[in-house]
Amino acid sequence: MSVATPPRAEIGVPHRPLRRGADNALVGGVCGGLAIRLGVSERAVRVVTCVVALFWGLGLLVYFALWLTVPRAGEDRSIAARLLGGRNRLLRVAVAVAIGILVLLVLHPFSQALLGPLSWAFLVAVLGLIVVWRGATPQERQRLEELGRNTPLLRRREEWTRTSALVRILVGLVLVLLGVRLVALVSRPIDGGAPAAIFGAAFVVAGVVVLLAPWWLTLVHDLSDERRSRVRVEERAKLAAHLHDSVLQTLTLIERSAGDPGQVTRLARTQERELRQWLFGPERTDHGATLAGALEALAGEIEGDYGVRVELVVVGEATLTDALADLVAAGREAAINAARWSGAERVSIYAEVEPDTASLFVRDRGRGFDPAAVPEDRHGLAVSIRERLGARGGSATVRSTLGEGTEVALEVALA
Amino acid sequence: MRPRVFLVDDHGLILAGLRAELADHVEIVGAADEVGSAVEMILERRPDVVLLDVHMPGGGGEAVLTEVARVAPEVRFLALSVSDAAEDVIAVVRAGARGYVTKSISAPELLEAIFRVADGDAVFSPRLAGFVLDAFASEGHLGEAEVDPELNQLTPRERQVLRLIARGYAYRDVATELAISIKTVESHVSSVLRKLQLSSRYELTHWAAERRLT
Repeated sequence: MSVATPPRAEIGVPHRPLRRGADNALVGGVCGGLAIRLGVSERAVRVVTCVVALFWGLGLLVYFALWLTVPRAGEDRSIAARLLGGRNRLLRVAVAVAIGILVLLVLHPFSQALLGPLSWAFLVAVLGLIVVWRGATPQERQRLEELGRNTPLLRRREEWTRTSALVRILVGLVLVLLGVRLVALVSRPIDGGAPAAIFGAAFVVAGVVVLLAPWWLTLVHDLSDERRSRVRVEERAKLAAHLHDSVLQTLTLIERSAGDPGQVTRLARTQERELRQWLFGPERTDHGATLAGALEALAGEIEGDYGVRVELVVVGEATLTDALADLVAAGREAAINAARWSGAERVSIYAEVEPDTASLFVRDRGRGFDPAAVPEDRHGLAVSIRERLGARGGSATVRSTLGEGTEVALEVALA
Repeated sequence: MRPRVFLVDDHGLILAGLRAELADHVEIVGAADEVGSAVEMILERRPDVVLLDVHMPGGGGEAVLTEVARVAPEVRFLALSVSDAAEDVIAVVRAGARGYVTKSISAPELLEAIFRVADGDAVFSPRLAGFVLDAFASEGHLGEAEVDPELNQLTPRERQVLRLIARGYAYRDVATELAISIKTVESHVSSVLRKLQLSSRYELTHWAAERRLT
């Protein structure tokens, strides 16, 4: 196209190469661009284009040729240039042209029967649109998408205007009529035959879809809206039930035991732990099935029973095997001892799972004791723990300094 | 020298409680209960340490942190939160907080943490230590674009220090236990904080979101 190459700027005349309009575009911006270039009104150009289009589709052909070869305002390459950039340009052009001709040859008889002499122009337009879409920049694609969305065909019932309804009914009816005509053609001996019947049926279906689309879209929207609101209501009910069972109950208990600070602290701590677990904790289906789960239950139990704060840190995770259950049981003894005797406000429990061992540390910064001066009955307990863990390939050590606190280190081997 | 402390929390009760607990030992230069005014007042008063609530409407503590850090990177932040969710912890620490403690911390410990942050050191609660150990545990699974492998691994010593902190040891107990000075403990912890902030281990965020710190 010779029009596509910008004319040389002459002295005194502003350089005005032909560009497709970006701001004043209806479809591809060709008419808008021409109007600016020629200095005439857009409307005039559009009317002329439409009239020329009626002559065997010539206008349509020219329109697409310009759309492909003229860069959009603000861009430096045309769609064709963009598609053809790079290597093998000849080969690609050849392939594209071959495909285009093939499509024309196959479809022309059908469309000929439907649209008469204008059919080839119609097909060229469809092929042209496909090429344009392949080569368009994101901005232009977005514009085209918007154009598609804004056609009256795809609006929901609530968004109907009188025009969109009219256009919809018209398009639907035309499609249905075309389909019926195609099917009717099959009875006559004409090229096409069975495929034409299929095309006809497709046209009828498309027409019906276009006619009924708004109701269908509305229905789908209503259904998903309803589902969403039901989920919300259920969430809310679940939350309310949880708060009632836990927080409200605890608050009532706290009010009742306002005179007993120890009890209030205990209640508040237990509730805090529960709520924290519910809000931030990982969702567990089976609470006792993992080491971390078992230790959390243990921490909750001790906080509830002894009114101390238990600080639990777990590194790594493992399923609760027999060996680990023994480890937790031993840790429980140690933590209860700390809570009961140390006088410390806080007990730290730290568990770490390594590839072949699991260890558990229970530490308090309480009064501590002299391990040599432990009464016999508690000694027995320590011995039994040690033996049990020893059987699991582990160990138990107690370190305590008077006035500094106590730390019990427990360890088992992981099979 | 008493550090100048600024409080940010959207709960009036907590603010009042903190003031009462801290007023005798530090100089409280102001308090704010929402992101906008917090940023403004912090930039105006330039405190040594900001005690920062993690959860607040309007972007939370993280928003305050990033806003202030852009203009005044010398202001140090200590995050204070009721939440133990790992994604929150990690978000504020990676945004630049020098430490993270939960609101259940006792007053003397909180004071110690404030002084520590004022001195430019890092404050690791047992939970944060446990989190770091867990997140840095696996040797594999490093991010694809590994620039500095140093940042993605803890040294054996750092691991030891973190373990003791997770076990409930105070810094000075850690120092005694490992027969090193408190200064050395502090430098190990600071270096871990640096790794936590700069590591490209994609796991950190991923892990935090998936497992949550409890």
